[in-house]
Amino acid sequence: MELLDNLALGFGTALSLENVFYCFVGVLFGTLIGVLPGIGPLATIAMLLPITYKMSDPTTALIMLAGIYYGAQYGGSTTAILVNLPGETSSVVTTLDGYQMARNGRPGPALAIAAIGSFFAGTVATIMIAAAAPPMSEIAFKFGPAEYFSLMVMGLIAAVVLAHGSVVKALGMVVFGLLLGMIGTDVNSGVARFSFDIPELTDGLNFTAVAMGIFGFGEIISNLEQRENREVFTKKVGRLLPSMAEFKASIAPIIRGTALGSFLGVLPGGGAVLSSFTSYAIEKKLSKTPERFGKGAIEGVAGPEAANNAGAQASFIPMLTLGIPTNAVMALMVAGMMIHNIQPGPQVMTSNPTLFWGLIASMWIGNAMLVVLNLPLIGIWIKLLTVPYRILYPAILLFCCVGVYSVNNNVFDVFITIPFAILGYVFRKFSCEPAPLLLGLVLGQLMEEYLRRAMTISRGDWSIFVTRPLSLTLLLIAAVLLVIVFLPAIAKKRDEAFAEEAD
Amino acid sequence: MKKLLALVAAAVMAAAAVPAQAQSYPSRAIKLVIPFPAGGATDIVGRTIAQKLSVALGQNVIVENRPGAGGTIGADQVAKAAPDGYTLLMATSSTHSIGPLINPKIPYDPFKDFAPLAHVASAPSVLVVGGSAPVKTAGELIDLLKKNPGKYNFGSSGIGTYPHLAAEMFKWRAGNLFVVHIPYRGTGLVIPDLVTGQITFLMDSIVSAQTHIKDGRVRPLAVSGAVRSKSLPDVPTFKEIGVTGMEISNWFGMFAPAGTPAEIVQRINREVNAIVRQPDVVERFEKVGAEPAGGTAEQFGALYRAESENWKAVIKRANIKLD
Repeated sequence: MELLDNLALGFGTALSLENVFYCFVGVLFGTLIGVLPGIGPLATIAMLLPITYKMSDPTTALIMLAGIYYGAQYGGSTTAILVNLPGETSSVVTTLDGYQMARNGRPGPALAIAAIGSFFAGTVATIMIAAAAPPMSEIAFKFGPAEYFSLMVMGLIAAVVLAHGSVVKALGMVVFGLLLGMIGTDVNSGVARFSFDIPELTDGLNFTAVAMGIFGFGEIISNLEQRENREVFTKKVGRLLPSMAEFKASIAPIIRGTALGSFLGVLPGGGAVLSSFTSYAIEKKLSKTPERFGKGAIEGVAGPEAANNAGAQASFIPMLTLGIPTNAVMALMVAGMMIHNIQPGPQVMTSNPTLFWGLIASMWIGNAMLVVLNLPLIGIWIKLLTVPYRILYPAILLFCCVGVYSVNNNVFDVFITIPFAILGYVFRKFSCEPAPLLLGLVLGQLMEEYLRRAMTISRGDWSIFVTRPLSLTLLLIAAVLLVIVFLPAIAKKRDEAFAEEAD
Repeated sequence: MKKLLALVAAAVMAAAAVPAQAQSYPSRAIKLVIPFPAGGATDIVGRTIAQKLSVALGQNVIVENRPGAGGTIGADQVAKAAPDGYTLLMATSSTHSIGPLINPKIPYDPFKDFAPLAHVASAPSVLVVGGSAPVKTAGELIDLLKKNPGKYNFGSSGIGTYPHLAAEMFKWRAGNLFVVHIPYRGTGLVIPDLVTGQITFLMDSIVSAQTHIKDGRVRPLAVSGAVRSKSLPDVPTFKEIGVTGMEISNWFGMFAPAGTPAEIVQRINREVNAIVRQPDVVERFEKVGAEPAGGTAEQFGALYRAESENWKAVIKRANIKLD
């Protein structure tokens, strides 16, 4: 019954006129930018984060950010289906069958099943978060500095293991992120490190500026390189509702995808990407006609779309209950909370229950809005796809600069985006995934703090990490993960698993 | 010769213009720099004052948050602004008493570069322990710490921050206690470790402790300040429990750049004194644990000088250095 009380409190908060409005704005803007090919949820949130800083109520700000997140997530599927350009990594698999469906003259059902699958997954994930969060928070109160440190070690290793492509590159990105995180005032001594006597650097790099430079600007620069020859199915959308047979074929993949996403999303480094790839692989395995996959099988859209939405939402659980971002998008959400003086962690649920439950309830409302917003308005999104980049991108860049400036009213932060934009572009050229960098940047700082705090509390005794059972367990999991990546047999399998996405 | 004449004329006119300018002050919008992020206590106090000052002066008072480097970026901006009364600063103990003592590289002189305008508010601190801690009173806590030197820890929001120095002062005044300092990035982060007992005590601002006091997660033992806090009427002051010299508060005050005309200083001081007595202002301050202050600009100048000396002694005694 407590669950119902909590949800009632949440819906009471989320259904206020203001919150519904900002949820809508978030979903709308998220979809709007997410529809732009090449710009995924991470870049979208990085770009829109600053506008929430001026909001008086952090609940409203977070509701809007969450709305942007699943809006962008969904917008990515639209471009995947219609233009064969995934808006983000998690909709890469949607291009495989979704685009083929569009070419076969069935873009409508593909879009509809993606929306319905996402909505179902979103509903289930919302209930799951509501049920899982209180016990998770209880456990979190047993976490001391040693446990947090071990958890983060595990998280970073998991992020490397689950990253695409080269392990070495992912590791390099994490380490680079950790190094960037060193810039700023050291908590234990109060000394400014690597700040080169620039007062602006004594608080560390502005996270928004770094994220916007690497993800937003970096993506735009590399998108500009591509020639504009998009084949957009503008007029051929036609019938929207899937046929009865298509519906029947989709039900089981949607349920399986939801379960998979809800589980994988909680894991550090997991989230939407891993969920959608795994779901696709499973559906292909289970299918009696695997040869249809890649040629327009509706199961190949339904399963992964449900999985990536469930995964996206489930990744809120560790962020909200432990205060640990398990992926780069959650790292941005943490930044959003900190700006409003809310330290993510187990205390949020008790000290800010309206924020906590309001955010969870808004997830369901946002998902419902997506269905309403997307199916009838699909024509508008398609129009947006035909706007030339040369008009679109300068406008986006301008708004981004205004946004970065307004965080601290500081021009310095705008300049900070320049080197990171170049870096972001270079990373793409070398196919280094920038997400582990962002995670390293956030977690690195926290990890060092927790390590030194644990050591001070133990008065310099390293055994604190292995004598506390929770901490030991987490470190052992991390060790197992590490062994797995470097075992040659498994490493080969992993390459195969990720090879599917390469085309 | 013509040039020289023109220069002299210009100088005479400029000299004549100064009193006229002061009389018509303010003739355009005033900027109030808040050197901390939006949403914190300083921001709330500053915005309240800005809103009321706009009405009293008949000109817009625009708030500009310039956070960074513990408030020194915003303070430095005002220190280097024109002393014409159109750029003001909402400062705290951190920017003007503690910061300059801790950080030798600070780009401004807290005494020479500023003209004090008015003492706006004070925020006393509260000594808290975890809700399940074995001690029920401050006396019991002091006994426990005395009997076990070096065994217990206290938390703070970082080296040289107000909660750190307040705790160092408590250690000193309660009889040179030996407790290990564990710095965090904000007092809110200390709470979970306080609850699990890894941290024994914390000197927190009353407002941030309030939510955790209400749900029983932390227990208040004593408040700083000369009298009991209205928000925690059952909690004794340090003086009542026999720890003297702990009448400390974090202050909020306004400054202009040094060299601001005396008439402007007087004018703003007068308006702020009237503002902090308005009931709705008092009520809004109470929500952030701040008590309205007031007094002349000279009194405020004397207060923050005296406070600096006070903290200097604590810093020297606790041997706090940024290294």
